[in-house]
Amino acid sequence: MPGRVRQIPLKNPDRPYLAIGLEGSANKFGAGVIRHREDGSTVVLSNIRHTYITPPGEGFQPRDTALHHREWALKIINECLVKANVSMHDVDCICFTKGPGMGAPLQSVALVARTLSLLFDKPLIGVNHCVGHIEMGREVTGAQNPVVLYVSGGNTQVIAYSRQCYRIFGETLDIAVGNCLDRFARVIDLSNDPAPGYNIEQEAKKGKRLLTLPYATKGMDVSFSGILTAVEAYTFDKRFRADGQPRNPDDQDIITPADLCFSLQETIYAMLVEITERAMAHIGSKEILIVGGVGCNERLQEMMSIMAKEREGKVFAMDESFCIDNGIMIAQAGLLSFRMGFETPLSKSTTTQR
Amino acid sequence: MASASLNLISGATLISQGAEAKVYKARLTSEPSDPAVLLKHRFRKGYRHPTLDGSLTRARVAGEARALLKCLRAGVNVPGLRMVDAVEGVLGIEWIDGQSVRKLLPGGAGEDEDGASEDDPEDADSLNEYDIPVDILMQLIGQEIAKMHLADVIHGDLTTSNMMLRHPSSFKSRHPTLSTELVLIDFGLSFHSSLIEDKAVDLYVLERAFSSTHPDSEPLFASVLTAYEQRMGKDWTAIGRRLDDVRLRGRKRSMVG
Repeated sequence: MPGRVRQIPLKNPDRPYLAIGLEGSANKFGAGVIRHREDGSTVVLSNIRHTYITPPGEGFQPRDTALHHREWALKIINECLVKANVSMHDVDCICFTKGPGMGAPLQSVALVARTLSLLFDKPLIGVNHCVGHIEMGREVTGAQNPVVLYVSGGNTQVIAYSRQCYRIFGETLDIAVGNCLDRFARVIDLSNDPAPGYNIEQEAKKGKRLLTLPYATKGMDVSFSGILTAVEAYTFDKRFRADGQPRNPDDQDIITPADLCFSLQETIYAMLVEITERAMAHIGSKEILIVGGVGCNERLQEMMSIMAKEREGKVFAMDESFCIDNGIMIAQAGLLSFRMGFETPLSKSTTTQR
Repeated sequence: MASASLNLISGATLISQGAEAKVYKARLTSEPSDPAVLLKHRFRKGYRHPTLDGSLTRARVAGEARALLKCLRAGVNVPGLRMVDAVEGVLGIEWIDGQSVRKLLPGGAGEDEDGASEDDPEDADSLNEYDIPVDILMQLIGQEIAKMHLADVIHGDLTTSNMMLRHPSSFKSRHPTLSTELVLIDFGLSFHSSLIEDKAVDLYVLERAFSSTHPDSEPLFASVLTAYEQRMGKDWTAIGRRLDDVRLRGRKRSMVG
């Protein structure tokens, strides 16, 4: 049984609406064009993304990421319009990410959005990044009133809709789950291509040994920084073999990078599933929607669906094209607010890191 | 094969399934006059690695029992302890007849939930039935939390759902004017600490629970704090100051932008 079905104040559009969304709050620049049709259905016309990939052992710096976005913005936007077979003159509004995210990349994308808005005389819509993820997730999966687990490199939150607002029920107290994974990938020199978290997931499949790590849930909140320190400490353990191979046939009591990836994933995903379950029990909802980059992780999805089954609930998860930051989600959330009569005047088209 | 505690559960009635445990009402013996107990079974979580699941369950059951004992010794109103089986994850505590504070306050009865329409006769309880004005109730909450904090027990999950009022019909009050008593329940996330920080965070958790479940409840929580302050005495100054700090924390509590 789904939770209470949300009353939707938005009527079907009187004509087709078209929006372009620009996203660049972290190391991905994305652009997408979406159409809302008169019958209330939604079509994704194009969804293009380019990721700034750093060498193994390095993260992305705000300044370099902003440079990347500036370099790619126009190419990606062009490509996205061509693929959608529309012109900038056709769109009803230009949606951009207002925040939260990294300052420099956000600003460079907002600048592009402002320029386009002035050039083509189109209204601007500033979109909250988290709401973008949630709205796209609801659109793609058809979830009615889910408990949302938003897990990515910069955010870890359990969100639910209550009294006309998305409210945060639980969140990380220090670093985000994706940040924890990314930084550990750097410690053991995993590649950042296509994503550090993806490589940890592949590595974890080879791990067998569950090592003890701190388990830090506090009510509906979680904390990851101590776990990161603890798992890093294992790489200095004398049993640790960086190449994953025993030194000789007697060398059995060893810790491999795969074991560490496995233990890290098992522990932190168990924590995430637990806080999601707590939020579900608290709210009385039976639906779970996983959004954000870490949401592509199949082990997390699997654990979540086991939990949902135990509670007779249902999990909605998406593939990487909508989970990972993308322009289309910004277009979707922006167009919804535009149709509700919301606009961001040029003077308010600032960005916010929080 | 099946252990004694699991046998006990198989003969019990399931009351509800919370986030991490199933709650049953049962009798420890077949004697009909035997008072009921509440069994809290932290069942195996399929999604968790078995090793991790086992150690977490053991630690949590033992921790909960320890916290309850500590509270009982310090005279905090909590359910009495009846049995502990840490390996199976079963905890037996006193059955409390009454209603959770959440359901007795405006907004908590289920406006956020889908259960609003299905009026259980039990859910129809109101504050009148307990013969207690709201501000006295808030005072009781503040006092009980203060007693618990003075015993250095941190609840870890203070919400209005984790507080109960004993039903006057099954409770003999020693208090001259009150016919009920406030009981703190669910010590599943509790721990021992004398740190100001932990006590302040405990209060902050309750403050957020109030504002998210009960609309316009700022004055209610304020009177909880006043009662807490009186009971804590000189310890309050530091905790109160820390509470102000804690409120400024949280990363993106308000989703604006």
